[in-house]
Amino acid sequence: MPAIVEAKSVSRVFPMPAGPVTALSGVSLRVERADYVAITGPSGCGKSTLLHLIGCVDSPSSGAILFEDRDVAALPERERSRIRLTRIGFVFQRFFLLPMLTAAENIELPQAEAGVAAPERRQRTRELLEYVGLADRAGHLPSQLSGGEMQRVAIARALANRPALLVADEPTGELDEETGNHVAGVIDRVHADGTAILVVTHNNALAARASRRLVMKSGRVLP
Amino acid sequence: MTSFALAWRTAACYRMRSLLAMAGVAIIGALLFDMLLLSRGLVESFADLLNSSGFDVRVVAQEGLPVLRAPIGEAARLASDLRRLPEVDEVTLVRIEEAVLTGATGETRVSIIGSTRSSVRSAWTLLKGSDLPDAATPSADACPLIVGRHLAEARAIAPGATLTIRISAPHRPSALPAVACRVLGIGDFAFGNATEFAVATTMSALAAADTMRPGDEADLVLVRSRAEAGGRAAARAIARVRPDLHAYSNEEIVAEFNQNGFAYFRQVSIVLSSVTLVFTFLLVGTLLTVSTNQRLGQIAALRALGIGRLRIAAMLLWESTVLVGAGALLALPLGGLLAWRLDRLLREMPGLPERLHFFVFNSGAVVEHALLLAATAVVAAGYPIWLASRLPIADTLRREGVG
Repeated sequence: MPAIVEAKSVSRVFPMPAGPVTALSGVSLRVERADYVAITGPSGCGKSTLLHLIGCVDSPSSGAILFEDRDVAALPERERSRIRLTRIGFVFQRFFLLPMLTAAENIELPQAEAGVAAPERRQRTRELLEYVGLADRAGHLPSQLSGGEMQRVAIARALANRPALLVADEPTGELDEETGNHVAGVIDRVHADGTAILVVTHNNALAARASRRLVMKSGRVLP
Repeated sequence: MTSFALAWRTAACYRMRSLLAMAGVAIIGALLFDMLLLSRGLVESFADLLNSSGFDVRVVAQEGLPVLRAPIGEAARLASDLRRLPEVDEVTLVRIEEAVLTGATGETRVSIIGSTRSSVRSAWTLLKGSDLPDAATPSADACPLIVGRHLAEARAIAPGATLTIRISAPHRPSALPAVACRVLGIGDFAFGNATEFAVATTMSALAAADTMRPGDEADLVLVRSRAEAGGRAAARAIARVRPDLHAYSNEEIVAEFNQNGFAYFRQVSIVLSSVTLVFTFLLVGTLLTVSTNQRLGQIAALRALGIGRLRIAAMLLWESTVLVGAGALLALPLGGLLAWRLDRLLREMPGLPERLHFFVFNSGAVVEHALLLAATAVVAAGYPIWLASRLPIADTLRREGVG
C-alpha cells in the first residue's frame, strides 16, 4: 500500500541559548492509507515534534519527510501550506476555533481558503456537522459550546477539505473521560470511513483504539 | 468568508478593545481634521473675503500692503487711464481716513471709507435704509453715510440720523471742522469687526471733509478685470502703463499671504498633523500588536490548517482599517464641532474681520484626512502582519502548550 507520509530517519535539534536540544533522533515512520497510528510516551519525549514534522508545519534538522512521495523540506512554504489545507487535517488539544465565527463558519473557513464554491461549502458543512452529531449547533459560537462539542467541531473543520491524513495532538487532553470517549468514537469513525489517523496522546484508552501504537522515549521510537 | 468579514467579526468579537481603539482614533482624527481645515481655511476665507468685494486687482503706491498707504496723486486721471485698458472693466478710487464721529450718544473713533462709485458697495451688505448714491447721480446730501452694523448697534444709530464727522488722522495734526452727515443706511462691512467701527461715504464727501489733503488723492484703487482677461492679466497691463504703482491681483495677494502672513498657522498645522498621525500609528499599532500576540496560538493553528499568510495578513490589515476607518468617520463630526468652537474662540481676537474664518470646511480636507488615516492604518498594521506571517508554526503551537 502506498504511504501517505513517510519519515525517513528524521532528527530535530532545537538551538537553545544553553546549547542545542535534540528533540528527535533518527526516527522513521510510515503512515499508510488505512493506518490509525497512536504515539504515546512521557512529556518531552518528542511526540509533538514528530507530529509537527509529519503535519508539514516544521522541517527536520536531518532526514526527510516524504508526503505522498514529495520531499516536504524541498517544497516552498506556499506548497506546504497547500498540502496542509487539502491533504492534512489538524486537531489541537485546545481546539483553536475562531471565537468570532459560528461552528458552521469555522468549518467553512478552510473550504473557502481552498476555493470551494459557497453552495458546496454549505452542503459539506451540513454533512460534517451531522457527521459529528452537531447539526443543531451550526449557528452557535464556540463560547456557547461545551469542550467536547468544540472538539467535534474542530474535527469537522479538519475534515472539511477531505484530507488523506488526520493528525491530532492530544485531542482528548482538555476533556473529561466520558467526553473524551465520545470524541475518540468520532475519530474511530473517521478512520473507518477511510482517513488515515496519526494521534499523539497520553490517553491510554484512546491509544488502545489505534491499529498501531508507537511508544517514544528521549526522542526515539522504542522497538 | 472574506478577509474583511473576518476582520469585521474580530472587531465585533473583541468589542471593548475595538470601541477603545475607535474612540482613540476618533479623538486624534478630530484633531487631525481640524489641523487640515486650519491649514487651508484661513487662506480660503481670506480669498473669499477679497473676492466678495467684487474687485480682483488692487493698486497701491508702495510695494506690499502697508498699513499706512502712500497716497496716489492725480487719482482721477489714473482712473480714467485705467478704464481705457482693454483688460479693465471698472475702476473705483478708495480713500480711508480716521475720524471722530459725534452723535447723540457722544464721540466715537471710526474709519471712514470714501469711494468714487457705489459699486464698491459690495464691500458691505446693506441691512437697513438705502445705499450710497452712484457717483453719476447727484445726491441731495452733502455727506451721505453708511454706518457699520456694530457701530449702529453700539451707538443706537438708525437711518435718517444726523451725525457730525471730523477727520482726525493720528499721524498728522488736525484742525479740520466737523461736517454734518446723514445716515442713509446700516451695512455689514466685509472687513468689519466688533471692535473697530467703520462708516462709508462718497469720495467727494470725504474730500470735502478732509481739506488738509489734496482732493484728487486716493489710498487704494480697486479694479475689476474683464472676465475674458482675468485679474493677473489686468494687473500686468496696469503695471505696464503705470510702472510707478504696484498692482496685485487677488490671487497674488492670497499667494503672498499664504507664503508669509499665514506661514505660522501652516507650520502649526503641519506639526500638529504629524503628531496626531504618530499618535494614531502608536495607538492602533500597539492595540493590534497586543491583540496579535494574544492570538498567536490561534494564528499558528490557522496556518497549520493551511490558511495562507496572505489571508492572515489581509485580515490584520482589514482589522486595522476597520478600527481606523470607524474612528475616522466619528472624527469628522467631532472635528467639525471642535473646529466650530475653536473658530469662535480665535475670531474673538481683536482687529480681525468678522467674516474671516480660521477653519473652513472643504472636501479636499476630508479626502486628505481619509488618505492620511488610511496610510496610517496600513503602516500601523505592518508590525503585526510581519509578526503573524513570520510566525514559526510548530514553535508557537508548542509554546501555547498544545503538545
